Amino acid sequence: MGEKERPWRILLVDDEEAITSHLAPFLERAGFSVTVAADGEVALRLVEDVAPDLIVLDVLMPRLDGRETLRRLRQAGDWTPVILLTQVGTPAERAMALEEGADDYLNKPFEPYELVARIRAVLRRVQRGGQSLAGARRLCSGSLELDRQARRVILDGCEIPLTTRALTLLEYLMLHPDEVLSRERLLDAVWGWDYPAATRAVDTRIAELRRALDDSAEDPQLIETVIGEGYRFIGRVEVRE
Amino acid sequence: MRRYWLTLLPLGLGLVLAALWQAGLWPNPILYLRVDVGTLLLLLGFLGSLVWVLSLALWTTAGRRGGEEAQSCFRREQADAHRRFIRRLDHEIKNPLTAIRAGLANLTDQGDSAILSSVRAQVDRLARLSADLRKLADLDTQPVEREPVDLSLLLTELVELAQERPEAAVRHLRLTLPQAPWPLPSVAGDRDLLFLALHNLVDNALKFSRPQDTIEIRAFEDGPAVVVEVADTGPGVSEDELPHLGEELYRGNMTRDVEGSGLGLALVQAIVARHQGTMVIRSRRGQGTVVSLRLPVAR
Repeated sequence: MGEKERPWRILLVDDEEAITSHLAPFLERAGFSVTVAADGEVALRLVEDVAPDLIVLDVLMPRLDGRETLRRLRQAGDWTPVILLTQVGTPAERAMALEEGADDYLNKPFEPYELVARIRAVLRRVQRGGQSLAGARRLCSGSLELDRQARRVILDGCEIPLTTRALTLLEYLMLHPDEVLSRERLLDAVWGWDYPAATRAVDTRIAELRRALDDSAEDPQLIETVIGEGYRFIGRVEVRE
Repeated sequence: MRRYWLTLLPLGLGLVLAALWQAGLWPNPILYLRVDVGTLLLLLGFLGSLVWVLSLALWTTAGRRGGEEAQSCFRREQADAHRRFIRRLDHEIKNPLTAIRAGLANLTDQGDSAILSSVRAQVDRLARLSADLRKLADLDTQPVEREPVDLSLLLTELVELAQERPEAAVRHLRLTLPQAPWPLPSVAGDRDLLFLALHNLVDNALKFSRPQDTIEIRAFEDGPAVVVEVADTGPGVSEDELPHLGEELYRGNMTRDVEGSGLGLALVQAIVARHQGTMVIRSRRGQGTVVSLRLPVAR
């Protein structure tokens, strides 16, 4: 973590008091300074006063829901990192979360430790690179280019064919560079189901990606296997407009 | 039955022919038919019976078809309502579970205890159940990939994986794939979902059979479909339990002691349905069970 004198400021937005009353003290103990808002309208007002380093935003809320709050925030040019707390977890909702410019999302009911890990990962990324990858239309790493809107992957100037799932997997990996992503997390994020039996599916798709991207498991330039843990995108990811 | 107009066809034909003859294109002689009353009555009776039989046949097929339509419509509505219910239930369970997890995290921070970790384990179980139910309900609307899937390859991988399990060492696990005259054709579908479905079947066979039982996994081509069968010589299922096996959370009488979510077969059924396939289970108490999946061949 950075050598900051003040702790990171987190704005926690959820209408469920039972959640915020437990989660806020937990995050405080993890070393964050936490402000709680009960809905999107309050959150938008507080963003200016508190100037949070990161917003944890529930999707389903009365009055102004998380999705609309996020949209208004981004429209106003505010790129404060946002972690969405999703309810449904369908692929459509996940795609929406990334499209609207969320930096990450977590399905309820999540483990609070997992939330802390995600918050730290996003803050680290923002601190290091400055630029948020979440809103980028095109992500690049060396001669690899991923056009998120057109759903195309270009390597050395040539478009390479990928299955939808392999492309979504690559997108998720590139949005979380230098982070070790477990097979379970990738399954949950990309496939939408994380049955333990299915972790093999991740390996199969990673192999497909490596073949297509001409990357080897032994001497990886892009996707590294972290033995016993999962995978990590090790290429440097840049935003191209 | 929307083709009632067909019954007017003979009349129309008659009209056209009459018009042609009346127009004088051909000679139009007058025919005198002589018939005795007895024969006339016989002919009329025969005609009446014919009309009656035909109309009866028409009515019943129309009625049956209408009934089937209404029934399948009713079933679809019921399935939709069921899915909506699961989504709502899941939604209502998620927030309290999130709150409980956060609360527990606060408690465990102040020193761990056996009781706390046991409560945590139960919360995890509930969370898992809610997630699994949810995913099952979502499977119907989720996009499914359509790529050619080589089931031979998939089954070989699956059996290799199963062989590594301790249960497999004490059971006879066999895979039979056709080689002649040609290997198994590909099916169109989502490789990962099909893997999951077949994995669940093999997993069930391993879980619910006893040591020394035989488990056969076989696949063959049958017309426009590939049939995959997972058969075991396990304890089998009684006839009255059979129809309920694909239901969510159903647990057979004899399997209460076996660990599982009770969602395995329901998931298989949902996956197979998304691939326009069918699942049939046959079983005999004391002899074993065979689950057959029919999946359409990729074109």
